[in-house]
Amino acid sequence: MREVGLLGLVAIAFGAGSYVATRDANQSLTWFHALNLAGGSLALLVAALASLGRLRAAAQPGLRAVLGRGLLGVLGAVALAVGLERAAHWSGLEFDWTLERLYVLSEATEMGLAELDEPVRATLYYDEEDPRARSTRLLLRALAATGRVETAEKKLGASPEEEDRFEVGSSNTVVVRLGDRFESVARPTEGTFYEALYRLRSLDSGLVYMARGTGEGDIERTADDGFSGLAQALLTEGYRIRSFVPAQGTPIPPEVDALVWLAPRRRLPETTLAEVRRYLAGGGRLVVFLEPGVESGLEEVIAEWGLRSPDAVLVDPASGRMDGDAPGVNPLAFHYGSHPISRGLGASRMTFFRGARSFELRKPEVEDDLWSVVLASSRSWLAEDLEVLERRSPPLRPASARSDYHPLVVAGRYQREAGETRIVAFGDADLASNRHLRTLYNLDLTLNAVHWVASREPAIKLLPKARVAGGDQFALPIQNTLTRFYGLGLLLPELLLMAGALVWVRTRSA
Amino acid sequence: MTPFWALVRKELAVLFGSPLAYVVLTLVALVSSLIFFDHLRIYNQILFVFASTTMGGFETDTIPDYVNLRDQVFFPVMENLGFVLILLVPMITMRIFAEERSRGTDELLVTTLLTPSQIVLAKFAVTFAFVALMMAASFVYPALAIREGGLGLEHLLAVFLGLLFHAFGLAALGLACSAFSRTQLVAAVGALALGFVLWDFSWASGFLSEGVIRFLEGIALHPHYRFFAEGVVILSHLAYFVGLVIVCFALARFSYDLRRVAG
Repeated sequence: MREVGLLGLVAIAFGAGSYVATRDANQSLTWFHALNLAGGSLALLVAALASLGRLRAAAQPGLRAVLGRGLLGVLGAVALAVGLERAAHWSGLEFDWTLERLYVLSEATEMGLAELDEPVRATLYYDEEDPRARSTRLLLRALAATGRVETAEKKLGASPEEEDRFEVGSSNTVVVRLGDRFESVARPTEGTFYEALYRLRSLDSGLVYMARGTGEGDIERTADDGFSGLAQALLTEGYRIRSFVPAQGTPIPPEVDALVWLAPRRRLPETTLAEVRRYLAGGGRLVVFLEPGVESGLEEVIAEWGLRSPDAVLVDPASGRMDGDAPGVNPLAFHYGSHPISRGLGASRMTFFRGARSFELRKPEVEDDLWSVVLASSRSWLAEDLEVLERRSPPLRPASARSDYHPLVVAGRYQREAGETRIVAFGDADLASNRHLRTLYNLDLTLNAVHWVASREPAIKLLPKARVAGGDQFALPIQNTLTRFYGLGLLLPELLLMAGALVWVRTRSA
Repeated sequence: MTPFWALVRKELAVLFGSPLAYVVLTLVALVSSLIFFDHLRIYNQILFVFASTTMGGFETDTIPDYVNLRDQVFFPVMENLGFVLILLVPMITMRIFAEERSRGTDELLVTTLLTPSQIVLAKFAVTFAFVALMMAASFVYPALAIREGGLGLEHLLAVFLGLLFHAFGLAALGLACSAFSRTQLVAAVGALALGFVLWDFSWASGFLSEGVIRFLEGIALHPHYRFFAEGVVILSHLAYFVGLVIVCFALARFSYDLRRVAG
């Protein structure tokens, strides 16, 4: 009867296998599948019944107890296995070993979800053949574990009216709904989910003025050198953005939560500088991005507040050559001062600057607070010759240049009679450009600077990365590894086979 | 030396004295490396096509998000290797119990101081040690390649852990089949068929009810195994494989009782 059981198993395996192999072309069961599956199951049943019958006939009463204990042991093992699996399931323990910790929610997402009055509904629209749906499911699972997201799945094409209404254009789209409002996320990652969530919440975080008219970075420009990404990120965080043209002589209203000045290329008129001085003296809030080689007048204004920036290029030998530029002129910063803006940043969370100037701090008044927020490495020095930005050869350090932790971003807080003034100054504007805003932790640093200046410290956080899939889109050194595989790589199988041959020869001769 | 350790030593000597074990080790090392490097080659080719200057390069977001290590390398490698193991593991497990039964030496073992549980435990332990060695040999080159690329070593570890537990599960199934067979061929075919049937039941979703499918998916290998390829190690999936080993151990132990009763 064992043979019958074995034949049954083989028949089931062939029935299932052929069905799996042909189901794409033929959705229904054919006579071959059905015959194998039914015949196999029947054979297994007959074999099992025959075995039981044989046991009953063969077993003496004394041996039945042995058999009973054995069967109880098997049943106990099944119960233990099920219990173990259920207990592990109940514990909910799981470990994310992906390169970018794709399924561990960031503090920002958890904060955003916790602030909601009602749960968010997230529905995945997927095609069965779409491999990306696997990781999206894991992301939704992590979101559902917070208890603030209700998840569901729908096959693409199953509800066409709903898909039209929610603008579902392709497989692996998640529709996020909050009340009557919805957002469609076509490339679901934690970052894009977070952004959708913030758009749905319609927060009002404050009013940001973006200065323009004297060659500042353009927040409407979507090219690499534009700053549309920064504007979009500020909108996502709930800020209202207004353009501010100082040349028109309009005063800066006191209700502005942050005035952002993106590296003016020309010198500002004296009237404008006077207006900025007046605004700051009245408890103004300024985030200013400077560039080496430009003296717009803002450098003089912030110097009056103790943030002096000599017109020199910071060279950090700890950073290598990038994009063909001279080595060291594009610093990768990994030293951070103790300040709310740099909370969470550290040696493994770097920020990238492209051609930057540095700062020197000197308190205007004893009670003022000044901080170096981001610093270059201890080997950095300042090159007064701005031509180093144009050359490709390594800059030569003059004997007079001092190596030190030169600040790249500084902050100041000043208590005055008219109110509290806050200033954050960046030695580079490129880090906030579309090209580099999402490089490393540049976006986090920039947004957190605005949050701090606007006195919104609770909003300071590290954001989930929007393009996580790109994180592992690196080319591996294939030629190198292939060469090793065909050379050294075949050594292990060869040695194993040789060992097998030796064992075989010895067994035969023994 | 206690009788248990003497049996473990003997089993190790028998296993490593068999040329077939080395052939299987060689096959696993070779097949896993070939599968891995082939997927890696294809992944790199696709990546370079998309990243070429004519297509816009990395900066312009033209590389589709499905072109990544997870979807193009880790997942297909694990799917293929998982299936290959269904074929290879029974070659190791088929003789562990069945050979002794066919020669009648199992009767001698039972007459020693060893209990049936200890005999089964020794055979399981030795087989699992060999399977672990087999998986380690299969992962030398993938680990080297990933380390040289400077990424995803932890993810690869998750893949390795999944494959290791999957192989343990298959070995346990194979040992249970061997324990109930007199001939090695029957044990091997039984383990192969059982592994194949238990692999996945999603194919039956077209004609079985949702409840039945959910139950079948609960006992199938693939639904518990596939998450490791995503780089996520879920405790309940590890517990599933441990549970499978416990049940197979109990079944192998039961085969001794059955023999006492039914002969």
